[in-house]
Amino acid sequence: MIYLDHAAATPISKKVLKKMEPYFLHDFFNPSAAYMPAKKVNAKYEAAKASIAHTIGAKSSDLIITAGATEANNLAFTAIKKPQGAKKVLYLETEHDSVRQIAQKYGGEKIKVHSSGIIDLNDLKNKITDETELISIALVNNEIGTIQPLAEVSAIIRDVKIQRLKKGIKTKLLLHSDASQALNLIDINVARLGIDLLTMNSAKVYGPKGVGALYVSHDAKLNPIILGGGQENGLRSGTENVPGVIGFAEALEEAKKHLASNRKKYATWKKVLLKELHDYELINKKHTLDNFIVICYNRIDAERLIFLLEEKDVYVSTGAACAASKGVRSHVLKAIGLSDTQIAGSLRITLGETNDESQIKKAAKIINEVVEKERERIKNAG
Amino acid sequence: MPAKTHPSKNPKTVFVGMSGGVDSSVSAMLLKNQGYKVVGIYMKNWSEDLPGMKCPWAEDLADAKRVAVKLGIDFEVWDFEKEYKKRVVDYMLNEFKAGNTPNPDIMCNQEIKFKLFYEKAMSAGADYIATGHYARIKTISNHPALLRGIDEKKDQTYFLYRISEESLAHTIFPIGEMTKPEVKKLAEENGLHNAYKKESMGVCFIGEVGIKDFLKEYIDINPGEIREIESNNILGYHEGVIFYTIGQRHGLYLNGEKGKINDGMPYYVVKKDIKNNIIYVSKNLNHEAIWTKTLELKDILLRSSKLILNPAKNYPVMVRLRHLAPLVPATINGKFLTFKEEIKRPAPGQSAVLYEDEECLGGGIIC
Repeated sequence: MIYLDHAAATPISKKVLKKMEPYFLHDFFNPSAAYMPAKKVNAKYEAAKASIAHTIGAKSSDLIITAGATEANNLAFTAIKKPQGAKKVLYLETEHDSVRQIAQKYGGEKIKVHSSGIIDLNDLKNKITDETELISIALVNNEIGTIQPLAEVSAIIRDVKIQRLKKGIKTKLLLHSDASQALNLIDINVARLGIDLLTMNSAKVYGPKGVGALYVSHDAKLNPIILGGGQENGLRSGTENVPGVIGFAEALEEAKKHLASNRKKYATWKKVLLKELHDYELINKKHTLDNFIVICYNRIDAERLIFLLEEKDVYVSTGAACAASKGVRSHVLKAIGLSDTQIAGSLRITLGETNDESQIKKAAKIINEVVEKERERIKNAG
Repeated sequence: MPAKTHPSKNPKTVFVGMSGGVDSSVSAMLLKNQGYKVVGIYMKNWSEDLPGMKCPWAEDLADAKRVAVKLGIDFEVWDFEKEYKKRVVDYMLNEFKAGNTPNPDIMCNQEIKFKLFYEKAMSAGADYIATGHYARIKTISNHPALLRGIDEKKDQTYFLYRISEESLAHTIFPIGEMTKPEVKKLAEENGLHNAYKKESMGVCFIGEVGIKDFLKEYIDINPGEIREIESNNILGYHEGVIFYTIGQRHGLYLNGEKGKINDGMPYYVVKKDIKNNIIYVSKNLNHEAIWTKTLELKDILLRSSKLILNPAKNYPVMVRLRHLAPLVPATINGKFLTFKEEIKRPAPGQSAVLYEDEECLGGGIIC
C-alpha cells in the first residue's frame, strides 16, 4: 500500500500506542475521583496537557482539551459576545468547513485570498470594523497546504487595537487560528504569533483520533458548549480522555524532535515526485508545506483517478476530504481562481511518515500509467 | 432481450441507470461483458437533507462512479431534481392531501426513469437503456411484454407496470433472469464493493425517515378527533387525517393507551373524513371498510394485447395489491376488479397490478 493522504488521517506510532495502553487497561480511573490511584492518573493527565501546551509556548491552564479540532473550532467562536446582529466575524474564504459553518452562523464575512492561496492583507484591513471581534485564519490550509503569514496579520490587529483604545472603543479583537495541519511541521509560539485562540488536532500529527485542544489566551472569554461536571475549567465538561491526551502529548513530542528533518525530507520527496510525474500542472506553487502537493490533470476527472489508483493500492484524494462523497466542488480551489475543469482534474497528494523515497517513485510511476490509460479511454470514447 | 453484440462489430450503446447499489452495478457489468458500449448514468433525483436524516445521494453517487471506473465505462450525472420534485414529490404530496396513499416509486419509474432518462439517453445516442430492476422483457407478437423477474422474492414489476411500451421496447433488464443471491455473489466475485451495501428502500428519503415524517416537512400537522365508528364516541386524537391510512392500527393516540382500549384489542382506521378532519376507527376486524370483494380502478393502463383485445367481461387475472404481496385471483370487467375471496381493502391511491402467468398485463390506481 502507498498511502498519500496524510492530511486526512495519520496512523499512530507504536511508541504512542504503548504509552496509551496502560490507561485503557490498568490506570483507567476517573481523574476526578478522590482516591490515590485516580489522583495519580490525574497527575499524568495534567502533565500530558502541560507537555501539549509547551509545544506551542503556552501553559497547561491555557488549554481546553476537546474531542477533536471541529469541536475546538466551534468552541473558539463562543468568544464572541452576543453573537447575533452586526458582523463580528471575519474568516478566510479557504477555511475548513468546521470554521466556515460556524463563522457563517455568526454572520461572518469572508476575507479573500490571492491566487497563491495567501491571505489578501488589504482585504483584511478593509473589512475590519469597530464591531469586528474575531478573525479566523488557519495557519496551514487543509487542502493546499498554504502557510498563512499570521505574524503580519497580528501586526495589523495590533494596530487596530491601538486605534480602538485611542477612540475609547472597548470591543476586543481576537485572532483564532486552526493549526491542525501544522503542529508537526511548524514551530508554533502563540505569543510570538499573536494568536488568542489556537486549534490543535491530534489526529493529523500521528496521535489518536478524537482528541484536540483549544489554546485560549487571557483576553478571550469563552462560553462552554458542553455543560456537566465542570472539567477543563468548566469550559468542556465530560470525563477526561486520559489515554487520548497521553497519546496526543507523546505524538507531539515525537513530532517536535523531527520537525526540521521532516520538513527537509518532505521537500526532497516533493522534488522527486514532481520530477517523476508527467503532464501535470502544479497548483500550490508557493508558501506551502512541502508535504502538500496539489496537481491538476487537464481534462481528466480526478475522482476517477482516485478509484483507479485505489485498484493499484495507491491512496490519494481530491481537493477536499473527498469531494466525491460530499458532492460539492472544493471551495478552496475555487477561491484561488481555478476553473471548474481545473478543480475536477485536481488531485491532492499529502506525504507523510508511512512513505519513503522508493514509494514516492513507485507512486509517480503508477499515477503516470493510470493517467495515461484514462487519457486513452477519453480519446477512444470521444 | 435484444440480440447480443460483439465488441468488434459496431457495438450497440446502452445507457445504464446506476444508483450505486449492487443491482445496477452488476447490470452494468453484465452489459459490458456482453460486448455493449456501456455508459453509466447517475440520476440525481433528490439531494435535500431532512432533519435527523442525511440524504445519502453523494455517497451513492461515489459508489456508482467507483463501479463505473472499475468497469472502465463512461459515467455521467444527470440532474433530474427539478423534474422529480414536480412530477413525483408534488404529485405525492397532492395525493396525500386528497386523502390518498400514492406510490412514489411507480411514479418515479413512469415519469423519470422510463421517460426523462429514456428520452435523454436516446437523444444522447443510446440504442437501449438498462436498469437493475428484477423484471424481464419478452417480445410477444411484436410487442414487448413485461414479465416478472425469476426471483419471486425480488420481482419489481409492481413498480414498473405504468412504464411506456416505447421505452420498454428499448430497455434491457440484465438481472431479470437472476436471483438476488446470484447477483450478490457475482458482485463479490468481481470485486464490486457494493455487494455489501445496505439495500436502499425505494426512494431514499422515504425509506429512511418514513413517509409520515417526510410529509410533516411539507404539510403542517392538523390535530383532530378519533371516533369509534359504531358509537361515534371520541376515543382520542390524531395529527391530521392525511397522515393515516385505512387499515392502520399503529400510531393512534387513543386516550393515553396507544391503539388499545380496555380489552387490549387493537383499533383499526376504517374511515377518513378529510373535510371534518375526523378519523374513524373500529375494533371490528370484519368491518366492511376493511374487507371487500370488489375494487374500482382509475387511470387504468393495459399493457398486454390479451386484455386490450379482450375488453370482454370478466377476464381472469391474478392481482398484486402491494409490492411482493401474494398474487390473488380475480376477474376484471371494465374498471372493476372482482376477487374470488374477500381481500383486505387497500388504501386508495395504491395500485392494483394484474398478471396472467408470469406476464404483467397492466393495472390501475385504486379508487
